[in-house]
Amino acid sequence: MLREMSYAIATMGLLAASVAAQANQNQLELQQNPELWATQLGNYQGNRYSQLDQINRDNISDLRAQWQFSTGVLRGHEGGPLYVGDGRLYIHTPFPNKVFALDLEDEGRIVWSYEPDQDSRVIPVMCCDTVNRGLAYADGKLFLNQADNTVIALDAESGELLWEANNGDHTKGETMTMSPLVVHDKVLVGVSGGEFGVRGHLTAYNIETGEMEWRGYSNGPDDDVLLDPETTMMMGEPIGEADLGVSTWPEGEWERGGGAPWGWITYDPELDLVYYGTGNPGTWNPDQRTIDGEPADNKWSITVFARDPNTGQTKWVYQKVPFDEWDYDGVNENQLIDVEIDGEQRKGLAIIDRTGFGFLLDRETGELLVAEKFAPETNWASHYDMETGRPVVNEEFSTFRQGVNVNTTDICPTAMGAKNMQPSAYSPETGLLYAGINRICMNYEPFETEYVAGQPYVGATLTMMPAPTQDGDMEGRMGSFIAWDPVAGEVVWKKDERFAVWSGALATAGGLAFYGTLEGYVKAVDIETGEELWRFKTPSGIIGNVNTFQHQGKQYIAVLSGVGGWAGIGLAAGLEDPEAGLGAVGVFSALDDYTELGGILTVFSLPDA
Amino acid sequence: MTEIQIPRWLVAAGATGMLLLATGMMTQVQASAEPEKQEQVEEGEQASQQQEDVKEAAATESTPGDYTIIDGKVDQGTYDGYIAFTRNCMACHGPDGVGSTFAPSLVKAAERRSFAEFARTIAGGRDIQPGRVMPSFADDQYVLSNIENIYSYMKARAAGDLGRGRPKVIEEEEEEEASEGSDED
Ligand code: HEC
Repeated sequence: MLREMSYAIATMGLLAASVAAQANQNQLELQQNPELWATQLGNYQGNRYSQLDQINRDNISDLRAQWQFSTGVLRGHEGGPLYVGDGRLYIHTPFPNKVFALDLEDEGRIVWSYEPDQDSRVIPVMCCDTVNRGLAYADGKLFLNQADNTVIALDAESGELLWEANNGDHTKGETMTMSPLVVHDKVLVGVSGGEFGVRGHLTAYNIETGEMEWRGYSNGPDDDVLLDPETTMMMGEPIGEADLGVSTWPEGEWERGGGAPWGWITYDPELDLVYYGTGNPGTWNPDQRTIDGEPADNKWSITVFARDPNTGQTKWVYQKVPFDEWDYDGVNENQLIDVEIDGEQRKGLAIIDRTGFGFLLDRETGELLVAEKFAPETNWASHYDMETGRPVVNEEFSTFRQGVNVNTTDICPTAMGAKNMQPSAYSPETGLLYAGINRICMNYEPFETEYVAGQPYVGATLTMMPAPTQDGDMEGRMGSFIAWDPVAGEVVWKKDERFAVWSGALATAGGLAFYGTLEGYVKAVDIETGEELWRFKTPSGIIGNVNTFQHQGKQYIAVLSGVGGWAGIGLAAGLEDPEAGLGAVGVFSALDDYTELGGILTVFSLPDA
Repeated sequence: MTEIQIPRWLVAAGATGMLLLATGMMTQVQASAEPEKQEQVEEGEQASQQQEDVKEAAATESTPGDYTIIDGKVDQGTYDGYIAFTRNCMACHGPDGVGSTFAPSLVKAAERRSFAEFARTIAGGRDIQPGRVMPSFADDQYVLSNIENIYSYMKARAAGDLGRGRPKVIEEEEEEEASEGSDED
């Protein structure tokens, strides 16, 4: 495939011109410099693509670790380092959420560090390890969401605390794990706690003062959700009916209706819209979310929201899974990509979703254009009805139809999703998405549960097993790294991995795609074939994202290792072989046999010529 | 909690005579298709009539870590232990007690620790290794009242008598059949 570098650069230039009039463009300006990695996903569009090509297919075998840095924190390290051009790397850790400024010219000497003072009682109300997905930056300030719901701004130069804002209450099970996003003069943050019956919301704070500017809930009355049924679109038409965020729930259940937006936010500067997805609807027991014993949509859980970042008003919504029965949390990143479909140029929004489906939407209107399976084992729904935008659920795998206290077996994918939070990459050169995915299925048994503030509100037990293998699959594999054609809705190539691939991908103009594995390898593959070209074993499993940047003429690759997250809870001791009897645990690989805890930053570059 | 709560003494009582305690023995008992409904009825009907004669028996015979398994099904207490574990501990200690990257396997802990030690950690919490906080459950009545049950569940797992996943509960009639060898259907 030919490289179309100039095309990519031209597109970016265009974007810059059209938004020049708006306030605070610092973040946007930084993103347009290909040498920097100024936001967790590389750019507002969430592409995790770099135009740097000093490190490329021809010299990748020479890539070396230059230095490593221990964060001193155990447990799962998600997210990645930021480089904003000041000669330092900014990194963060899981609880206690330390922040470090490391000198890139002095092999990671600590320029300053910051450690918040947090109540450790927040730890037990974090469902899936004490992870944090990283810092945001704008105008000399760093922004961090602490586990205890404090949003902070630090002076990037000195590490001094500039302001803090309280975004929630951990005694009610609210926590924070997601990475904030700065848009104009606002920093946008979402709450976690879908397993504790929280009421999800996205909130905007002023980056100068920390004052709250707006909050849009994921459920409840339209005024709280910040939507207008007359103008907010759904499947290409106004929603029409008022307060669906109340009426699609049994009495009062929306108040603990989840929909926590704990994933990534993306932004289209031209349309001036932010995009994010909401999580699972409250309890995992679908029966407790029915109306008159029948499935109810539980809006707006598992929904893609397009909001005006200035006011929070909702432009359009698309509910990927109405009435969830599997914990298919809809938080996966919305990749903003421009595509040609049926001979027409469209502003697309692509999702490699929890559900095992790859979606393509029109990001101006929210219309559904493509919904195809990227994980072939996916069986909970046969397909999506493209008229209604609803999944056609397979009765056999409907945990609601099978019933409370019934173990519905062999559902694919698992509650972890065919892909979890690990962000994908998109190359404008190939037009493909690159993602680490999970190849795991589950048995799911709902049970009646009661809401107690600050206690888990789950109401289902589940067991997991590797997805059935198909011809050519690696035996017992629990993950793959795939190249996905978002328009054709097809997997172009895949590379199987022993464990779920829980690390964020990177695509570069050097013809490479990078990702990390749970055993701790960083791998580089040929972006066109998936052939492995290079690997390095870091000291602990990788659930962080591979980032790249250039400083003083040298391109670097950097990644946080530190095994953990939901993967660390679910896979540590191995999965059960559903075919085998008692005591057969360990037939499939256990993460414990490969890696141990430990937060480490590794920085790679080519040796000096 | 809305799980079916059958007092532990009742379960122990149902099986007095010849409890298949921790032996891993399997019996040939026909299972009813609707175990939960069956139990709810039993709870209501039998609780009062059996209450008096059974309480003492349970008090003397049931020690922490005991469990009953018949054909892979467990007594109510052990089941409650599984549920209490799943609700309060699984997020750290991994599915079915197998451990996670940061919290130890409770299956192994139950093997190594006395009930007193096990219970003390749960009530008091522990924070020996930095970042590996075991919270105290001293204020959590539900957890405190289920420590014995959790211990029993882990003991059953440790002995290899119970596999992973949510176990089924032994129906009362099965226990009676097991002990009396009679068919009451
Ligand atoms: C927030 C995470 C978390 C939760 C929730 C949690 N634990 Fe723990 N637990 C730990 C960690 C971490 C350790 C190891 C502590 C250490 O060694 O410093 C531990 C240790 C223990 C031990 C001691 C193990 C040994 O080898 O002696 C027991 C027993 C235990 N936990 C039981 C429980 C039970 C029962 C529950 C639920 C009621 C529970 N824990 C909930 C994190 C947790």
